[in-house]
Amino acid sequence: MSNHNLKPIDKSDLEKIAARVREGFGRYKAMIMVCTGTGCVAAKGFDIRDKMTSEIEKHGLQNEYLVVSTGCNGFCAAGPLAVLQPSGVFYQKLKAKDVEEIVEKHLQGGQVVTRLLYTDPVTEKTHEKMEDIPFFTKQQLVALRNKGLIDPENIEHYIARGGYTALRKVLSDNDPEKAIDEVLASGLRGRGGGGFPTGLKWRSGRKAAKERGEPIYVVCNADEGDPGAFMDRSIVETDPHSVLEGMLIGAFAVGSHEGFVYIRKEYPLALVRLERALEQARTMGLLGKNILGMGFDFDIEVHRGAGAFVCGESSALMASMAGKPGEPRAKYVHNVEYGYRDKPTILNNVETWANVPVIFEKGSKWFASIGTGDVSKGPWNGNSGTKVFSLVGRVNHTGLVEVPMGMTLREIIFDIGGGIPDGRSFKAVQTGGPSGGCLPESCLDLKVDFDSLTEAGSMMGSGGMIVMDDRSCIVDVARYFINFLTDESCGKCTPCREGLFALNRTLTKICDGQGTPDDLAFLEELSQTVAAASLCQLGASAPNPVLSALRYFKAEFEAHINDKRCPAGVCKPLIQYGITDACTGCVVCAKRCPTQAITGEKKAKHAISSEKCIKCGVCLEVCKFDAVEVK
Amino acid sequence: MAQMIDITINGKPVQVIQGSFLLGAVRSAGFDVPTLCHHKDLTPNGTCRLCLSEIELKGRKRLVTACNYPVREPLCVSTTAEPVVKHRKMLAQMYLGRWPNVPAIQNIAEQCGVTDGSRFKSELTEENPKACILCGHCTRACEEFTLERVLDFAGRGIKRHLTMAFGEPDSHCIGCTSCAYVCPTGAISVVDALNNPKDPVKIRNAGMRVNAEMATLDQSQCRMRDVGTANIVDVMNRYDLLPVHNYRFGSHEEAFKIDSKVLKSRFAQGAADGCWLGCSMACAKTVDHFELQTGPYKGHKVCVDGPEYETAAASSNMGCFDADFLFEFNFYCDTYGVDTISVGTCMAFVMEAFEAGVITEKHTGGLKLPFGACDEVLEILHQMARGEGFGVDVGKGIRWLKNKWAKEYGADADYLRDIGMELKGLEYSEYVSKESLAQQGGYALATKGPQHDEAWLIFMDMVNKQLPTFEDKAEALYYFPLWRTWFGLNGLCKLIWNDVVPADNSKKHKPQDAAKIPDHVRGYFEFFEGMTGTALDETRMLEQSARVYNFQRCISRMLGFGTRKDDIPPYRSMGPVTVEEYESRAERYDAQLKDQVGVDPTGKNTAEKVRLLRAFREGQYQKLVDVVYKRRGWTSNGVPKIERLKELGIDLPEIVEMVKNDQE
Repeated sequence: MSNHNLKPIDKSDLEKIAARVREGFGRYKAMIMVCTGTGCVAAKGFDIRDKMTSEIEKHGLQNEYLVVSTGCNGFCAAGPLAVLQPSGVFYQKLKAKDVEEIVEKHLQGGQVVTRLLYTDPVTEKTHEKMEDIPFFTKQQLVALRNKGLIDPENIEHYIARGGYTALRKVLSDNDPEKAIDEVLASGLRGRGGGGFPTGLKWRSGRKAAKERGEPIYVVCNADEGDPGAFMDRSIVETDPHSVLEGMLIGAFAVGSHEGFVYIRKEYPLALVRLERALEQARTMGLLGKNILGMGFDFDIEVHRGAGAFVCGESSALMASMAGKPGEPRAKYVHNVEYGYRDKPTILNNVETWANVPVIFEKGSKWFASIGTGDVSKGPWNGNSGTKVFSLVGRVNHTGLVEVPMGMTLREIIFDIGGGIPDGRSFKAVQTGGPSGGCLPESCLDLKVDFDSLTEAGSMMGSGGMIVMDDRSCIVDVARYFINFLTDESCGKCTPCREGLFALNRTLTKICDGQGTPDDLAFLEELSQTVAAASLCQLGASAPNPVLSALRYFKAEFEAHINDKRCPAGVCKPLIQYGITDACTGCVVCAKRCPTQAITGEKKAKHAISSEKCIKCGVCLEVCKFDAVEVK
Repeated sequence: MAQMIDITINGKPVQVIQGSFLLGAVRSAGFDVPTLCHHKDLTPNGTCRLCLSEIELKGRKRLVTACNYPVREPLCVSTTAEPVVKHRKMLAQMYLGRWPNVPAIQNIAEQCGVTDGSRFKSELTEENPKACILCGHCTRACEEFTLERVLDFAGRGIKRHLTMAFGEPDSHCIGCTSCAYVCPTGAISVVDALNNPKDPVKIRNAGMRVNAEMATLDQSQCRMRDVGTANIVDVMNRYDLLPVHNYRFGSHEEAFKIDSKVLKSRFAQGAADGCWLGCSMACAKTVDHFELQTGPYKGHKVCVDGPEYETAAASSNMGCFDADFLFEFNFYCDTYGVDTISVGTCMAFVMEAFEAGVITEKHTGGLKLPFGACDEVLEILHQMARGEGFGVDVGKGIRWLKNKWAKEYGADADYLRDIGMELKGLEYSEYVSKESLAQQGGYALATKGPQHDEAWLIFMDMVNKQLPTFEDKAEALYYFPLWRTWFGLNGLCKLIWNDVVPADNSKKHKPQDAAKIPDHVRGYFEFFEGMTGTALDETRMLEQSARVYNFQRCISRMLGFGTRKDDIPPYRSMGPVTVEEYESRAERYDAQLKDQVGVDPTGKNTAEKVRLLRAFREGQYQKLVDVVYKRRGWTSNGVPKIERLKELGIDLPEIVEMVKNDQE
């Protein structure tokens, strides 16, 4: 929507706008919510949306159906997708030509197009409505409450869903301490990985600023850098105003008038939507001077990070914002006291901020009732609310999921995630991003919250969840993550710089079949020093993949070292490709082999020359008869 | 008062200042922990992690780096706990594996009980014994000593390396060599190709102490790097020593308009502006993009070099409390090649004479010249440069004006002598010396006229109170002119001698010695020795200077000056000339009459008190001159005795000829 239709509003206008927008929606037979999150956009989601609009116009249905471009629906595995609301009919894996059929048969003819519906790969049941699909049924949406229901580039859609009423409530109460009490009572803990009670952070920041008579800043950390994690990006792409409203409430509570969003440059779509949201909020007087005519001033500036993993660490992030190298500092003096520009600074991540308005809409009691533990006994004594995860890897339903804290890994991976594809078996799940840990099957009934995951040797992190099946080599996985962290270490402190490099070398050596028995003790000892002696949390948590792998999968290391064998068949120097009797002599593999290592007559069993073979795995991929084996 | 906190270190109870770093406490308690990235003059950054220590706080144990852990509450510290020793050992192995031949690392390895770093050997192992070990001393020294960040690390993780921006030599480097000085391995070295000093290391060590002091002390002392010499405008005003209205007063309510806060806000920020490469004090300041309002460059935006303290004080002396005037005045004096002090003092004299009716608009070409006439001052300056009008007269200085006005306008010559602040034909520089006998002598006994280059004693006398007795003052007037002459002889800047002072200077030395700042004097001697190879001490330094100083006095004598009468200042520099001046400080003067002169001022009128005080102060001054001459080896008329020349080895016939008729 264009901004010039917007004008400054005051506190009595929110309901009027909401009523007008809802009434507008009510005039349509249905709204077609086309997902334009990054995943669907990559699969031509914008084309689907445009085609939908033009087909509807072609059929003269533009007064009956409204196409809405939404943020991420969450079910990325099924994208590009479109959902009819309010009926909830869920169309998946759409191609442009499917759109014609939907418009003709369904919108015009009233017939659901069954071939575009979702079929569960496990139960083989077809579901017409989104709410019936197992991926969605177990989720509970709090941070993602507006997911798929609004156009993120239209502030009025957010207002129509009750947006900015929480802010108004906080401003009219006009009691910052009470607002902090409310957040404290909700038990909200930082969703960026640290799990620090948000209310405590706000309280110390407010106190520090007051005592020193200095300004205080509010910062949103949108520098999500974990490979395979996209929770924060999706929230900004899907519902940017929930983040802004959270920041506004936080700013009022701590007494701040200046806020920042630190967002990585690799998130172009999120950036566009964020900037549009800021513009619209500013135009409507929801940012700037005298917000909602209620006498509070606050504005937000966007700072783009250049994509260093370590800049997600709070002090490195603040250094980067100040134009210095993105390196962390010792946090014996906390950021809430001396943060950005050495002033008290409140930093929370995207998901944390997005949770804040709900706490004021529905009350801290309601929020605290979700999840585990009892926060009334203390802010550290519970894990309330929900957590958003990006569920990826070897799992049927990859995507964005939000579940109550305390749900088990098994429920997330098997019930929501639909289990492991291709009939393989579950091997491990990596939670908490690259510096989380690999948890084995025996941990599947672990309740997912800040404290249990840490106890098990992994961590919540910001919510990455990578599922691995039996074809993943745990040594290789550990090496992969340590390699990532070796690259991303800033190099400022010695244990992280030199230690990770040595860990990486040793793991590579083991993967290459050069490992020696004393390497295991060395890995363990070195990991302990890196974890204990590093300057920041990047280094302190970096050895987790190694330590958890050693804890749960020691035998696999020993196979690499003692038997020179990679049980999962991943580590190239330790494997041999061979052809079994199942070979029909179809010659496909021989044709595709890049090094002509496969020989054999037509219709006769082929053979692989181990000298020529470069173990690229093409033969394994192309063989229709499962005749290629890895030894 | 700093709060003390009780902690125990390895079981030993100690008290530490709240907020101070743990490492200091550990070391002063007699325990040692190894460090590589720590340097006493630099902000700790905790990157080598070797000082890892275990603390127990509220029943919870955790590891912290002692170098940057601020002690805020009672805690138990262990520097020898099992995990600490284990991790330290592993860290030492990492270092030894990467840089096996660097002596600093071999030392650390030994301290940590490590002999073998082979587990960390890799393709990145560097055999060079002078390899960079990424401790970061140099980058911090660059930033903290010189406010630059010419050197920094580039590359993430294991690729971290030291560089200048884009791997190219950076023109912002001022060549201060701080980085090389703090480098523990010799990875950064300095090429000593200039001037062939005898012992460059000695020079650098002396210089580096200055850099370190500037880094750690300047902010809380003179703020030279920040504000330059103008920092003392505020101090002088506060101590009643800032010349106002031709030295009549020592402070003014409008002084805040040209004080260091205002000037700092106008200085071009962030640039080190030293006189030469390598100066970390870099006290020169500029005002950029200043738009001129008058004169031939009116409307141009220019860069004003300054203002220094003396120019700002010249401005207050003229009653011109306006920063824009000050910049314009500064710029045109520089551009025309005239001295801001001479013009300022001369104009202050002209203004007082104008206000007293000695001269009128008839004499000034129609210009009204009361104190504070900023536009008119600039007009006279432009006239002076163009060689027109009243400006020509002013350009000839106070001595010339006094003569002309007495002769041609019938002005009272005695009055003009009292208020005309010149001696030996040179205008006074900008300090009120009335209450400091030492500074009166410093000005008036200076060979080339009343400038403070020879003896700037006002701060020692009035602010630091380091010259309490008569003898102290006389001794200072012997020592300091010679010490300051020595700077000139060697072409050395004197600001780093006393515009930054070691933190323990006044604790370590008694006042009269503290005034000399002995640690800094020694630094200059080390520099001298490093340069020439000849060791120097106070006696030899004084000898070097005394030869020149006495020679200069002989030359003065030859030119018809250089006797006692040339050393007697205008009374304005010694005490209140007018009733108004006396009354502005009546309390102080009355007390002095009572306590020192022994006269009860009650019931006496001001004119009488002025006379009594004058008689006393002039007497004091004469007494001072007697003692100083004697100390200097001069006759009672102020001429060097031939035996003094002999003593100094400069009794050459030509020189003896100059003074032989003045011997007693």
